[in-house]
Amino acid sequence: MSDRIDISVDFAGLKLANPVLTASGTCGYADELGAFMDLDTLGGFVTKSITVKPRKGNPTPRIVETDAGMLNAIGLANVGLERFVAEKLPVLARMKPAIFVNVAGTTIDDYVAVTERLASEQAIAGFELNISCPNVKKGGISFGTDPVQVKEITEAVKGACGQKILIVKLTPAVTDISTTARAAVQGGADALSLINTFTAMVIDIETRRPVLANRTGGLSGPAIKPIAVYLVNKVYSEVAKEANIPLLGLGGIRSAADAIEFMLAGATAVSVGTASFIEPGCAGQIVCDLDAYCRRAGIEKLSDLVGALEAPAQ
Amino acid sequence: MTQTRAASKKGPFQAVVTRNVQIGTCFWRMDLRFEGQGARAFAPFRPGQFLQIDVADVALPPAEKIPPELRDGAARKVLLRRPFSFADVTPEGDVTMAELLYCVLGPATLRMTTLAEDDTVSIIGPLGNGYWVPENKRTALLVVGGMGVPPIRCLAKMLNADHPNLETFAFVGGRTVGALPLEGQLDGNAGELGFCVPAFTKYGIPSVLATDDGSAGAQGFVTEHVARWLDANTERSRDEMIVYACGPEPMLAAVAKLATERDIDCQVSMERRMACGIGLCQSCAIECRTEGSAETVYKLCCQDGPVFEGRQVIWNA
Repeated sequence: MSDRIDISVDFAGLKLANPVLTASGTCGYADELGAFMDLDTLGGFVTKSITVKPRKGNPTPRIVETDAGMLNAIGLANVGLERFVAEKLPVLARMKPAIFVNVAGTTIDDYVAVTERLASEQAIAGFELNISCPNVKKGGISFGTDPVQVKEITEAVKGACGQKILIVKLTPAVTDISTTARAAVQGGADALSLINTFTAMVIDIETRRPVLANRTGGLSGPAIKPIAVYLVNKVYSEVAKEANIPLLGLGGIRSAADAIEFMLAGATAVSVGTASFIEPGCAGQIVCDLDAYCRRAGIEKLSDLVGALEAPAQ
Repeated sequence: MTQTRAASKKGPFQAVVTRNVQIGTCFWRMDLRFEGQGARAFAPFRPGQFLQIDVADVALPPAEKIPPELRDGAARKVLLRRPFSFADVTPEGDVTMAELLYCVLGPATLRMTTLAEDDTVSIIGPLGNGYWVPENKRTALLVVGGMGVPPIRCLAKMLNADHPNLETFAFVGGRTVGALPLEGQLDGNAGELGFCVPAFTKYGIPSVLATDDGSAGAQGFVTEHVARWLDANTERSRDEMIVYACGPEPMLAAVAKLATERDIDCQVSMERRMACGIGLCQSCAIECRTEGSAETVYKLCCQDGPVFEGRQVIWNA
């Protein structure tokens, strides 16, 4: 066996040094995590959600811990497009990992505006569409829960993003995620990321009120991993494999073993989110450990594991 | 490919527990020793900075040692780190010793009680900004309530060592004497202000103790005693005065209000639920005034604080 282990992956035509990215909302805008790890060791980086105008975010409490997880209702707090371009883009330009800007909005025009502005920026490899937001023009129904809207918004953004890679981030709050996955692919998505958080609630029994000021929040962390793995495998086998669309898997990953589960299920790459709050160097450690795993298991090419889950017996 | 876990400037560091003892009904004191990079990182710890400790894998105490009111909460698993501020940090050559005071309130602090000598814990820090001493100050008032004691004790030590020309007075308050994590006897006789809190008098800082129920020291809210002292000391220039406060938020709001009304600079140490404590999650938002605008902004307790100027903070009703 050769001494050369290859942990790179091809993600929608872009070669990533390794399949490990950091998840939107857990790693700041650029190099905040750099205080804790060498960010240049990562395959990719996904920024905090950017909206056209700055957003203050929700009143506190914005988070609450649960067993093996946490709820968050940050409220898409972000500096807005203008400050992102002026302050964060120059920093991103100096970073080695593939940079994906997560885009959020309340109307399709919002998403297009952000994408259009950034589509020619050298620093950026692509966009991740956060469609778990309510569409104010359709009475607040989340873009991501309606396949018709999913296709519409994907098409609109695809038209604006030029040569950049378009990842559509799917919400699990649907009856059949393969339907919305298919809609995104039909709309022109280059890749899909899944899953976003699950809407959940924690009640304080003394005050008889929800703990979060927003009442509900998105559940993330190890608790959701088994559901995320299942949904990645579902979308892979029902939509992505045949369409040759790569998947970015996320939901509770905090070790190389977790990452491999997702890859076997069909993910070409993975994002580490909540785990960075506890161990800021986690994503970097996973990169190392994936290499070590390949050496131990005699795997020369890590990407051979993508979708290598044994097919169900016929 | 080699190990990427080269320790960053802020950790995580493994600290060694050297002592962990109960000092009150719900108060405990844990002494920690940092070595190597951790020692170097924490040696310049500033009063009011904080750290994030990971106790997810620490065992719960046996059922009989869990107070009945905490039994339901004890069952919950811990995932996230918890923020604390050291009451004392002492560099000693190659090592840095630190004292952590904690109040047992939930699953994480319950777990902390089972840590024993020679156990190690993972700590990230130092984090945040800490208290600062503006130019041209001659009088400092330390106002502390309940579990606000640790950062103010740390501050008292620093002021005594680095600012000997600053005349400092301490006002310590709590609901009742048992609500204060102060070890040792309280001396009812000595001191300019009529009561002594040894934690401060050892730094030459006269102090007054006030409890809401009068169980020790004077009766009443600590802010009343601060106001009374200010009224009795009008010859001291307000411009040359600084108030440092730490404690429950209603107390901080009252201190900030008092200081603003009398045009005295004031720094308060704020608390918010934190997931990461390192500026990534945006959970710990503090609503603040902005210069020349009616609009408010959210600042982060972990990055822009935890110490804020009292007049900047928008206090909840």
